[in-house]
Amino acid sequence: MKTVIGPTQRQFLADLRSYLDGLDPELVAATRAENIEDPMQPRENGRRFLRRLAADGWLGVSWPTEYGGQGRTEIEHWLFAEELYSRRLPNGLLTLNVIGPTLMLMGSEAQKADYLPRIINGDQVFAIGYSEPDAGSDLASLRTRAVRDGDEYVVNGQKIWTTGGDVATHYWLAARTGRPEDKHRGVSLFIVPMDAPGISITPIITQGGERTTSVFLDDVRIPASQRIGEENEGWAAIVCALNFERMFFHNEPRWELEQLAGWADAQGLLEGETPQAYALQERMGEHAVDVEICRLFALRGAGMLAAGQVPRAEASANKIWWGELRQRICNTGLDLVGEDGTIATGSPYAPAGGHLEHGLQSSPVWRFGGGTNEIQLDIIANHGLGMPR
Amino acid sequence: MTAFTLSPEEAQVQATARAFLRDFVDNSYLNEQEESATGFEPLRWVRMRDLGWSSVHLPDRVGGADGSLVDAALITRECGRAAYASPLLQTLRAATTMSALGADKTYDDVLSRIGDGEIATLVAPPDRAVVADVAAGGFVLSGRPVVVEWLAQADWVVLVLPTVGQDCIGAVVPADFLGDRAVEVPSIDNERIVRLDLDGLELPEDVVRSTNVSATEAAYALARADLLRASAMVGGAQDVVERTAKYALERHQFGQPLGRFQAVRHHLARMVIAADGAQLLCDDALDRAQPGADETAIAQAAVFAAGRAYVDVVLTAAQVHGGVGTTVEHILHHHFRRAKAMQLRSGQRSARLRELHHALVVRKEGVEGSLW
Repeated sequence: MKTVIGPTQRQFLADLRSYLDGLDPELVAATRAENIEDPMQPRENGRRFLRRLAADGWLGVSWPTEYGGQGRTEIEHWLFAEELYSRRLPNGLLTLNVIGPTLMLMGSEAQKADYLPRIINGDQVFAIGYSEPDAGSDLASLRTRAVRDGDEYVVNGQKIWTTGGDVATHYWLAARTGRPEDKHRGVSLFIVPMDAPGISITPIITQGGERTTSVFLDDVRIPASQRIGEENEGWAAIVCALNFERMFFHNEPRWELEQLAGWADAQGLLEGETPQAYALQERMGEHAVDVEICRLFALRGAGMLAAGQVPRAEASANKIWWGELRQRICNTGLDLVGEDGTIATGSPYAPAGGHLEHGLQSSPVWRFGGGTNEIQLDIIANHGLGMPR
Repeated sequence: MTAFTLSPEEAQVQATARAFLRDFVDNSYLNEQEESATGFEPLRWVRMRDLGWSSVHLPDRVGGADGSLVDAALITRECGRAAYASPLLQTLRAATTMSALGADKTYDDVLSRIGDGEIATLVAPPDRAVVADVAAGGFVLSGRPVVVEWLAQADWVVLVLPTVGQDCIGAVVPADFLGDRAVEVPSIDNERIVRLDLDGLELPEDVVRSTNVSATEAAYALARADLLRASAMVGGAQDVVERTAKYALERHQFGQPLGRFQAVRHHLARMVIAADGAQLLCDDALDRAQPGADETAIAQAAVFAAGRAYVDVVLTAAQVHGGVGTTVEHILHHHFRRAKAMQLRSGQRSARLRELHHALVVRKEGVEGSLW
């Protein structure tokens, strides 16, 4: 029996840590502050940081060397993502971990030659355009239409929850090219420059302080060469990208448990033979076990990818565990803090730097983003257990 | 879902064990054995010995198969899947503990007897209910009575007990040495148990084979033994999930299979997640089960996760099965009772979680396997 972490992976991690420890402290501090405020989208400093990593050959750990990557397995790639998250630094998020690998599998040779070098250089950032006001997890009912006009498509419609829409350079856009009644069989996928004429972006501010956007498409013209795969066959690319997305959640719960432990320790709540200390130790112990399991769910998926398999139900299990655990840890933390927990992030008096409060405010997204957890449970029932649809 | 990576030899161990048990174990058989005088068939025990199960992970020099802890764990996992009760798990646990404490061959004579097919059990109360104090010519034990599996059927009893200080002792005695201190009591599951009162018992010097075992060493030895139980619980949880999924396809209500109702599908998916998480952690701990405190912590985490998962899945399975799952006509009742019993054999949940807290959360940077 062997698990996926071996000497090669340990050496990789040691090299990565030593590289990150040696980075310009000013760049790291600025990036970290920005990332803590809003981890969903690298802004000015985050972009600067990713370009630094790219220049030093650290982006695209599992990308093949022919595309400028390190040619390692998904296991090292996941360890990279986890390590950066543990330091609260961006790791390339959807662009590196989702769009790049999907393009490698589904893109045309011209698209790969065009996009992959610029992604791995840190020059391009993608935002994902699936959701619409009337279609959340039910992506088969998309209404945004792409109508063929010669060598181009003309797109009209509205997208919502496009996180990073205001910082992205490109849009990974799902649009209907077939009839509405064809459901998922009438959807195509396109790459569109975010500054294409006809695109307008409206910010949406969430309760957790993160920014997302609404995107309006008004007669946006897209060359047919920018369609991924055949017309009406975009669903395969969407499913592929979603599986990557659900695998590349990393060990954020570990970071949150660390915040909780650090705060409780500073308050002296974890020591002594009091009923309160005992109760807290019990909860911390169980969260710690769940954090270990979180890591193993992700590593199982990475191991499958490395072996050329596609995690489906396994990706869904990973996504559910991760999202629910983060919410549980932040909730436990605030229960423990009590009324001081009402002091918001930004105040020097906010317990645990406000991370638990901020975490809980952001937590609803973790349970439905990337497909609601209820949909994930259905995927497990279908693909993991063979239940009838 | 996707299984862990087994070597071809390990896969063979697993396949052989599964085939052997499938040959005779079903609910009627389990019911029959539970009602029998001995609780298991001695003839089957001989067969299991001949297959090399009880000494699979012992060194060649004591008649073992030189296998790994993983081999033993794969066998206990299959027993767990089958809800099969016998002194095998306890014998393997006792032997594992003696192997870990007796790298200097201290226990080789008893291990050889196990290799020959004798039965052993392990007394190591997880909540430190019994302690040993130095007395003239040996140790004297004190504390409250403890519950021990299969002692009445055992030839040997291995005791790992804390001393009044920080250290532990390891002792091994013939079962009849304990005489009428052991009283057979009914168990909530199909394993056999006794209530053993060790208070005031004097252990002569010659039965105490290991003195001054550090708490760390003892914890490591027992963590290895407990991983075998964790693996049995993982097997039990997996069987319950598979069995329940099968039932959800066969059983129709309101004109459709249960597996088409989203409420049922979500129950099933939650069961998969629980069982998978436990299996991943158990396998990781087995892989890392090398000497050292960090692996001990991971093993303890695996024991906790396995117990929690087994209990969680049987509770949900009973709901999906409805009335049929609660009768003695259905094998689920064995899993239901075994899940809670096996979990409780690790002691108090709150105590285990506090230990995990100290091991996983308080542990500082730079330690291999550290949470931070």
